[in-house]
Amino acid sequence: MEVSFSKEIEALRLGAGDIFHGEGILAITKGLLQSGVSYVGGYQGAPVSHLLDVMVQAKPYMDELGVHVEACSNEASAAAMLGASIHYPLRGAVTWKSIVGTNVAADALSNLSSPGVTGGVLIVVGEDYGEGASVIQERTHAYALKSSMCLLDPRPDLGRMVDMVEHGFRLSEQSNMPCMMELRIRTCHVRGSFECRDNIAPKISTRALMSEPAGFDYMRLAHPPVTFRHEKLKGEERLPAARRYIIEHGLNETMPGEQADLGIVVQGGLYNALIRGLQQLGLADAFGESAIPLMVLNVTYPLVPEQLADFCVGKRAVLVVEEGQPEYIEQELATLLRRRDIQTPLHGKDMLQAAGEYGVEVLATGLTAFARKWLPGHSIDSAQGWLDGNKSRRAAVAAQLDAPLPNRPPSFCIGCPERPVFSALKLAQLDNGPVHIAADIGCHAFGTFEPFSMGHSILGYGMSLASRAGVSPMMNRRALSIMGDGGFWHNGLLTGVQSALFNGDDAVLLIFKNGYTSATGTQDIISTPDDESKARAIDKLQSMVAENQTIETTLKGLGVQWMRTVHTYRVDRMRATLNEAFTSDYNGLKVIVAEGECQLERQRRIKPWLASLLQRGERVVRVKYGVDEDVCNGDHACIRLSGCPTLTLKDNPDPLKVDPVATVIDGCVGCGLCGENAHAATLCPSFYRAEVVQNPKWYERLLHEWRARFLRWLQPAQRGGQPVSPA
Amino acid sequence: MNRTSPITLLICALGGEGGGVLTEWLVDIARHAGYAAQSTSIPGVAQRTGATTYYLEVFPVPLAQLGGRRPVFSLSPVPGTLDGIVSSEMLETARQVGNGMAVPQRTLVITSSARTLTTAERMQPGDGRADAQRLLDTVKSFSREHHVFDMSAMARECGTVVSAVMLGAIAGSGLLPFPREAYEAVVRGHASDPRAQVDKATAASLRGFARAFDAVSTPRAQAALVTRLLATPEPDALAPTPLPDDLALAFPQPVHAMLALGHARVLDYQGADYAALYIERLQRVLATEQAADPAGTNAFAITREIARWLALWMAFDDIVRVAELKSRASRIRRVHAEVKAGPDDIVKVYDHFKPGAPEVAALLPAALADRVIAWDRARQARGKAPWAVPLKIGAHSVLGMASLRWLASLRGLRQRGSRFADEQALIDRWLAAVVAGTRNNWRLGHEIALCGRLIKGYGSTNERGKANLLHVINHLASEPLPKCTPTKRADAIAAARTAALADDAGIALDAALVRHGAPPRPVVAQPIRWMKRAPQVR
Repeated sequence: MEVSFSKEIEALRLGAGDIFHGEGILAITKGLLQSGVSYVGGYQGAPVSHLLDVMVQAKPYMDELGVHVEACSNEASAAAMLGASIHYPLRGAVTWKSIVGTNVAADALSNLSSPGVTGGVLIVVGEDYGEGASVIQERTHAYALKSSMCLLDPRPDLGRMVDMVEHGFRLSEQSNMPCMMELRIRTCHVRGSFECRDNIAPKISTRALMSEPAGFDYMRLAHPPVTFRHEKLKGEERLPAARRYIIEHGLNETMPGEQADLGIVVQGGLYNALIRGLQQLGLADAFGESAIPLMVLNVTYPLVPEQLADFCVGKRAVLVVEEGQPEYIEQELATLLRRRDIQTPLHGKDMLQAAGEYGVEVLATGLTAFARKWLPGHSIDSAQGWLDGNKSRRAAVAAQLDAPLPNRPPSFCIGCPERPVFSALKLAQLDNGPVHIAADIGCHAFGTFEPFSMGHSILGYGMSLASRAGVSPMMNRRALSIMGDGGFWHNGLLTGVQSALFNGDDAVLLIFKNGYTSATGTQDIISTPDDESKARAIDKLQSMVAENQTIETTLKGLGVQWMRTVHTYRVDRMRATLNEAFTSDYNGLKVIVAEGECQLERQRRIKPWLASLLQRGERVVRVKYGVDEDVCNGDHACIRLSGCPTLTLKDNPDPLKVDPVATVIDGCVGCGLCGENAHAATLCPSFYRAEVVQNPKWYERLLHEWRARFLRWLQPAQRGGQPVSPA
Repeated sequence: MNRTSPITLLICALGGEGGGVLTEWLVDIARHAGYAAQSTSIPGVAQRTGATTYYLEVFPVPLAQLGGRRPVFSLSPVPGTLDGIVSSEMLETARQVGNGMAVPQRTLVITSSARTLTTAERMQPGDGRADAQRLLDTVKSFSREHHVFDMSAMARECGTVVSAVMLGAIAGSGLLPFPREAYEAVVRGHASDPRAQVDKATAASLRGFARAFDAVSTPRAQAALVTRLLATPEPDALAPTPLPDDLALAFPQPVHAMLALGHARVLDYQGADYAALYIERLQRVLATEQAADPAGTNAFAITREIARWLALWMAFDDIVRVAELKSRASRIRRVHAEVKAGPDDIVKVYDHFKPGAPEVAALLPAALADRVIAWDRARQARGKAPWAVPLKIGAHSVLGMASLRWLASLRGLRQRGSRFADEQALIDRWLAAVVAGTRNNWRLGHEIALCGRLIKGYGSTNERGKANLLHVINHLASEPLPKCTPTKRADAIAAARTAALADDAGIALDAALVRHGAPPRPVVAQPIRWMKRAPQVR
């Protein structure tokens, strides 16, 4: 795994009165343990990966408490795990990245929500919305509405967030509804503190097992005819019970203000941004004291009609601050005001922009409009000046910079084994023409960025093979589907491979077998090489992924006839294999397993090993590539074929030439791609591979000295005239 | 209402630079010093070498004096309200300034002058790098105070990572209300005794911290550093190379520096006769330019540029040249330095070569060369790959070096080879266009001269460059164009040249050609394989 959580695991053990310092998502994790959770599952994804990662690493402590932790194969399996809480008084929590993860989990969530739960259920979703998001911009809110799950959106204060975790379980138990808690990206990564309570070892746990299964109860099945009864229960019993709990325990917070005849209803997660926005207008102080009364919704579904009506009645106007579209809360509030014939004017998306993250600037713009209309006596000049200043400054910078700044999207790491495959694919398309490329989610999606810019569609995690099923029958050329091993196990094996085999599709699938789900933080999967084989290996430098053949045996077992395994750094072979797949007479599913261990994991493995060898004075060979600056032609074709961060440019040392030359900077891990590309693409001959032998043996040294003598004899002294370039 | 507001700091870093650790340190320092603080970040997949930011707020009044009240912090940086921006990369600093984050009234900007080039900048066939001076000017214009130094170099010199340097810069700026010791304590991991022995990594972090602290807190040294960084060398200041007296007399002074370099290059490449040919060609251009611009108002820029590009073209790269460059003693020394080999280490150097039929044919007389090329074409027509031998030559080995030296000795063969003749014909074609253009209009001649930049490299790169140049000469420099004046022609050539260096597929070049009324380049054959299948009926 990419990160080691030893410090954080210690923090999980803190007891009553201790102060926890750390990230939001780890505070939530601690909250789960304080709630006596029995089981935890999920699928990693930013920004909630750490929740599961830290629990997986904290296995000894989890065993001590009796908490079961499961790294699920996808979000659907995580959601299905919650089925344990239907019959049994077990508190369970799962986590994933939303909206994508919730989409995958939707089936199980519907079938969980219908019978309802006995033990409290909390689904912690990372709401990947707005700046820094890596998925489609949709809201989780819709799922809470359609399946009748409570939706918690706590104020991003660590203490409040942990309280809401504990309340979430009780709310779930009181209402029989599963609870979702949405955490925005910055909330997950916010660093703060809170006062802990003791962890509670669950009553039923891996240490205190149940002896008998529950009795048969048809009402607990999501199956007709009881599903009709469930539907009624949702409206008649569960939602009212939830509303009662919300009111009784003050989950939503009402904050008074001197302008008592105005009000703002805000999603809990947006509270801090709203306060900063109000501060910019001089309507709040540093401690959150607001001039306008606030209703902070730490629970955004269900809303409590009486609570909102009480807040709105008698006010001159109310503003709803709700991020994303459509505006579910505003619409529901409008309906409930209308039904009660409360005439308070309602604002929301008429003053605030419809789409995108509600940052302080966006909120302040909306607040300025609100204040202009309803607080005409309050000066907004300063805020308006600040907003206008931002605009004019941006224009001034753009004018001064002349050209737009180049983007810096994420890309393959230094020495990433996936990069060479895209080099080979670029070359293969020169041999046989362009192909339709069905791309997928994962590190390999970086292939859609420069310098490769490849991929026609991304339909979901593990969906690439399935997403070409309509394309390939319609095209006179073969389409290529690219999938990572993470995506393969998440979904691709069934939705893609099984379907292609069943339908006898003429398809080409390339699987990146790097051994880990790398984009989400190099978590282990079923095809990860085990620690034993890593320890056994004599040459620890080599890629270890071949040690685990689960993908290959699975494919063979399913009936894949055409399968080639190619080490990714062999660019020429990969190019030939791709060409073979594109032109083979075999018309069934063709699978290329592109094998190469995730470089992050490889480096994590070999760095300490090499350091220990050096410390003992043993022989170590370090490889680095380089470019001869006087041979480089300054065309940068090598960069267009690689994009490695350590293959970059420097000023041309030759005063006659003007274009910068390529150079390999520190950090090169000597993966060999530069040399492979130079050969495969017949690039310029400027690349060299240097092998630096540290602590060489005595006979090596002797041979080297003799060689050096010969070489000096062979090499002429610099010829008369000028040296061609400064060396 | 309490008007005190938090101190706000935006930190920009690239994935893997330790920005997360840095913010954790800062929050820790604030906590130990008794101040309320909060940090946030949006790492996501940006950790994979992308750009990312971290944001910190610290309330300037100690918690003890707040009477139990707690400030509400913002989770995201607010444009125009930042007290500080600290950034490890110049383009990212400019990006945040462009987002409106910095204001001249309020924001202190501490930025590294180092650039980590983006892929988009690196991949262009010409020079796609963002103008560093412009980035720096932007930072200067939109900050209250700025400190600029090379954080990467400082970190490297101290054997530490850039986050330690950034911490030192923040401490040195005095932006946050903490003493220097508080920062150093967190780096030490709050060891009880500050004089206690620290491990190697911590010691390096402290060194990097101290260097950056001094760089930012010592204004005078800092000012000197900035001045040095801002002083861009004169672009035309070339290393003085002695010029033979007769040549100095034959050419005007503004041409001398370039001429000296060019002449030396051609002399080194193929000897005195070839250098004489260089001078003769250059004199032809000079004569035309003198006729077109007798007063020399343009400082003989055409001759000067031709002196550059003609030398580079005449000294075209081939295997003889590459072998010569790779087998020099100075090259071995350079490689040792580049790979940072220790004095006791053994360095083995392997060179990647892949000579094919064209490289061999280049050294053969025309008749023989044609037969080799025809043979290779026939091979390709049969569906085989072009003939080429991938070689990995150990330049550190006796046999490898002997081979390189043998190849380098084939200089005589080069002059009788087919490629040599081809190149000379093309050079003359280009020079004729320059001369004709200059006679017509000085600027037109100048633009055609600058097109020499299109010629570079080996193999397909070289072929592409020559084809592009020929196309430009044929269609923009000589053929009649609709409603064309010499100035418009010059504009068209300038646009085509820039476009040709924008992408290797030539999409921009074709667009530029068509825009100026010239035909796009002919479509190059590209193999496409259709997998014919009978329509499936089930």
